[in-house]
Amino acid sequence: MTRWPGGARCAVLVSVDFDVELPILAADPANAAREKTLSVGRYGARRGTDRLLGALADAGVRATWFVPGEAARLHPGAVGEVHAAGHELANHGHRHEDFDLLTVAEQADAVRRGSAALASLTGRVPTGFRTPLGSWKPGFAGRLAGLGITWSSSGFGDDLPYLHPDADLVEIPVHHELHDHPYFFFNLQPPFPAGQSRIAPYRQVLGNWLREFTAYHRFGLCYVLRLQPEVIGTPGRIGLLRELLAHIGGHDDVWVGTGGEIADWWRARGVPNAPGHPADLFARLTAPPPAGSG
Amino acid sequence: MAARLRRDHPDDQRSEELKTPDTRWPGGARCAVALAFDLDGPTGSAMLDGSIWRNPELFGIGGYGPFRALPRILDLLDEHRIPATFFTPAWVLEQWPERGRAILERGHEVAHHGYRHECYFDLTVAEQLEVLAHSQRVFHDVLGETAIGFRTPSGDWHPETTRLLVEHGFSYSSSMRDDDLPYRHLIGGRSSDLIEIPGHWDFDDYAYLAYQQRPAYPSGQDRIAGYDTTLANWRAEFDGVRAEGLCLTTLLHPKVSGKPGRILLLDELLRYLREPGDVWFGTCREVAEWWRATHPLISPEPEPAPLGTASLGSA
Repeated sequence: MTRWPGGARCAVLVSVDFDVELPILAADPANAAREKTLSVGRYGARRGTDRLLGALADAGVRATWFVPGEAARLHPGAVGEVHAAGHELANHGHRHEDFDLLTVAEQADAVRRGSAALASLTGRVPTGFRTPLGSWKPGFAGRLAGLGITWSSSGFGDDLPYLHPDADLVEIPVHHELHDHPYFFFNLQPPFPAGQSRIAPYRQVLGNWLREFTAYHRFGLCYVLRLQPEVIGTPGRIGLLRELLAHIGGHDDVWVGTGGEIADWWRARGVPNAPGHPADLFARLTAPPPAGSG
Repeated sequence: MAARLRRDHPDDQRSEELKTPDTRWPGGARCAVALAFDLDGPTGSAMLDGSIWRNPELFGIGGYGPFRALPRILDLLDEHRIPATFFTPAWVLEQWPERGRAILERGHEVAHHGYRHECYFDLTVAEQLEVLAHSQRVFHDVLGETAIGFRTPSGDWHPETTRLLVEHGFSYSSSMRDDDLPYRHLIGGRSSDLIEIPGHWDFDDYAYLAYQQRPAYPSGQDRIAGYDTTLANWRAEFDGVRAEGLCLTTLLHPKVSGKPGRILLLDELLRYLREPGDVWFGTCREVAEWWRATHPLISPEPEPAPLGTASLGSA
């Protein structure tokens, strides 16, 4: 079995975090009264999503949208459009929770509530999950299977999908340099970024994304673009995505798949993680000592 | 036109002033490049305080270096026929021993960078000795040889560190930022056999490209720089080093510069370094040996300072 379907040279996942105003609310309940700050996130539902859907449609790309359950409840129109356009919807927690603040039971509950909200909109329980923020508590991977989740796109440490060592779960790892938010997101007060650095030059960011794509293509890897409608979906930035997708679309040996398709493919390949994989090493080094030892 | 530098190191006052850039480097090379990587893996402050064991994301970002990035970098170095030094915490060698041995087999050098990337400034003398001794045992067990080179991990080193290095068989360091040429370290006020190959933050990829959310790096979550502008800075530094006949070393991290797109950046950089054809490429070890041989201590050999008096200043 070749690495990618049809002998494609590399895989591309266009993923969207439909975060809108939820991370701002999750960061501090007092932000609920900050209308201006919240509106920075709401822009994603009000304007960004349409522009993003347009760019994806013109490029013929089916994307995977990670939608917190509460975001679907707050913005049923925008999320309904995403669903109607044929994109995959996946779990992104319920209120864009910070997983570092939750117990494993609370983490699982956020996934359960998020999936219920998406299922009420689409009639389908999502199979994919992306951590909103923070880290999984020990045992969380094992809980996901019982919630209908078969793949995740949350981890780091590889540029190919890999198998979780302690659960039947395919991981499609992400990369900060392929995410629009660290380059472009800005708010004055509360400040983001914390050091209030300048918004990155658009052409430089496109240059980074194009160069990364050239390399993923050369090395046969899985390129995971991570976008947010409130970030990429401005009149001036959407063009970056259009250029990038046009460039990718100019190749006839690139497989653009949804997260679910890529995960299914990787599972069916049945190839174990290469020796020394960081995920396996982490599991081994954090495994509880066997009973009776020490 | 190569500039003559005003320099204050005692060895330079004796011998460097007699050298022109034409005779400074082997074979009449115009400048020297000691390409160097810090193969930190997931070591560092989060491992030292234990928080990394609750942070698989951070462990993944670090583990990517030895697991995915290093093999790609070794291939690239083969292509360009450029030797390099990998400053490697011994913990990384314990977890990825085959990766460590591959570095040697491909003709490069592995040197000391702490056991788990300890900050020597924060350690007592006894703790520093323990890190050095334990790491050297790991080097011996995994690689069959101990390190002779040292790059201080994290921030500063300790006032006693250079003395400990000399006493424990290290012959060079690449830790300081105060010159563009190697020099002999002063220990107890006297010039020693410990050669320094200073580097600069400008050639540290962390200052441009590294990014993580928790713990935040950069601390103010500044943007990831443009790759092209980063490469332009590196080229400018090299151009200056070559024009002045100096020695360039780098502080590149496989987990940062070995990401796919940045491998293409390194590829362009190495091609640029190769292009003039008059650059001497050596490991840090080779550069230190060359410098030691061509910049001898003036006899008589200074007596080593008595133990306990080799402190800084005149306290």
